[in-house]
Amino acid sequence: MKLVGSGLRKLLQRPATWITGAIVVGLMALVFIALGATINMSTVPEVQRAALKLLLQFPGAYTYIVSEIISTGGLFLIAFAAAVAGSEWQWGTLKAAVARGESRWRYMVLTLAAVALIVGVVILVSFVAAVAGAVAGAALGGISSGTLLDRDALLALPGELLRAWLALTEVLAIGFAVATLTRSQLAGVGAGVALFIGEQFATLILPDVIKFFPFNAAAAVVERPSIEGVTTAVLSPDAALVVTTLWLCAALALVVVATERAEITG
Amino acid sequence: MTAAVPPPPPPIDGAALATRGLRKSYGHRLALDGLDLTVPRGLVYGFLGPNGAGKTTTMRLLVGLIRPDAGSIELLGQPYTAHDRRRLYRVGALIEAPAFYPFLNGRENLRALAASGQPVQRGRIEELIELVGLRDRAGDKVGNYSMGMKQRLGIAAALLGDPELLLLDEPANGLDPAGIVGMRETLRALAAGGKTVFVSSHILPEVQQLADVVGIIARGRLVREGPVAQLLDEGRVRVRVTWEEGPDATRLLEAAFGAEAVARRTESDGSWLEVQVPASRAAEVNRELAKAGVFASRVEAGSDLESLFLELTGERVTTDDGSTGIGGVA
Repeated sequence: MKLVGSGLRKLLQRPATWITGAIVVGLMALVFIALGATINMSTVPEVQRAALKLLLQFPGAYTYIVSEIISTGGLFLIAFAAAVAGSEWQWGTLKAAVARGESRWRYMVLTLAAVALIVGVVILVSFVAAVAGAVAGAALGGISSGTLLDRDALLALPGELLRAWLALTEVLAIGFAVATLTRSQLAGVGAGVALFIGEQFATLILPDVIKFFPFNAAAAVVERPSIEGVTTAVLSPDAALVVTTLWLCAALALVVVATERAEITG
Repeated sequence: MTAAVPPPPPPIDGAALATRGLRKSYGHRLALDGLDLTVPRGLVYGFLGPNGAGKTTTMRLLVGLIRPDAGSIELLGQPYTAHDRRRLYRVGALIEAPAFYPFLNGRENLRALAASGQPVQRGRIEELIELVGLRDRAGDKVGNYSMGMKQRLGIAAALLGDPELLLLDEPANGLDPAGIVGMRETLRALAAGGKTVFVSSHILPEVQQLADVVGIIARGRLVREGPVAQLLDEGRVRVRVTWEEGPDATRLLEAAFGAEAVARRTESDGSWLEVQVPASRAAEVNRELAKAGVFASRVEAGSDLESLFLELTGERVTTDDGSTGIGGVA
């Protein structure tokens, strides 16, 4: 537990943590305000306007918010996780811990655990910001937020947020594993982001295969509202949860094996 | 049928650190070629070698950062393998450059490191900050530290667990003269307190002042190991005589010490006779000449570490910081 505590303290003092968190939180609020502001624009076709209204209509908006946190937040968080893992190699801080007799895999896995805990907080704050943004957006779009406190939706929220946390932890673990292989902050961030974006593009070509890939599976752990003209995840949320968990385990195994087998020469 | 596994070699009594036949290659490049080291407990061991000789590779192997291709390591009297990482709880190390988080201050960096490996006693961090003279700057971000300050913090980090064995890779790097003196005093005090200090360095006069025993490595092999005083006493006595007296002096010294021990050399500053006897016999050499009425204008005895090093490794002195050092093989 000392390593997790130390990992949390380090992350809280790391500028990248606050910058990444602020970007994700800010984006979430802005996305929903922008949606509301778009609804009444004359250039928006009627069909699309109805779809946008659906996204800002509570309690359905909750699901969309969680889904958006996973997909939009994922891109920034994979970069953040890769930066954290890459810096452990690049700055030699993993080397220093190993030379003190620390277990290599324990050090890296518990560092990832600390990142996952921080991301849990980022998810919660982003959610609050996104709800506030959605309420503001709904007001701009002339939509009532009277169903904001729908009891059933609120009861389902902890489960949805936990799914989102698992999904983003899987995304983090992929970024962490990639940076462990590259042993560099920059290369890790670059490779992680390239994988993330590459998978999104590949979805257009091979959707039936790519739906099992890590980022698509993660995005599908919560049910995304169907919007006309937008492709939705093919895996069911429960199947996606299983696939996401498998990817998380695979990423952790890769981190463990790569760290244990590495010759630390930098 | 399985191949017979040779029994492990017996522990080397009293050694804080020992390696036997240690080999390590990086691809096709052989970094260590059967290194045999023995570091007795409770003293300062200076590990010397040109760049690329295998010093840092040895250090990395000793703390499990890399794995040997062949050979064995004994750490604190017991065989050491990748599965014995907890043995490192009793070892402190500074390998290559000091490694810290630039966004944390000095104190926080030591706290972060203390969370790994062996638990650290309460108050130890403040004690070490004081010891390495960083009291006034411990609250500053390490990203703003000079090289010398990072090095001091690195030494503090190596001492976190109050180790029995301290492995320091070029600890004087970046230190100012006062810092070097302070480090030397600290390391000597640690050795006096029973701890073993293993220091690799390219600053030869520093090692000569600091170490009790030195090992010289070249091309991945130990080429000489022994107490500093003994190594400095080895070598030769050089006497300078006039050109005319050269043949007589040579005859006299050959008669006294043997023909194979005497060589005559002409250098830019005159004619020198070299006699291969311990430095402690310099007066005896001088006396033999004086008895026959031949008077040397100059007598030089023994060796310094630099001469010995250059002789053993064939390297040239090429440091860029103005200090006497070792350069050569990249």
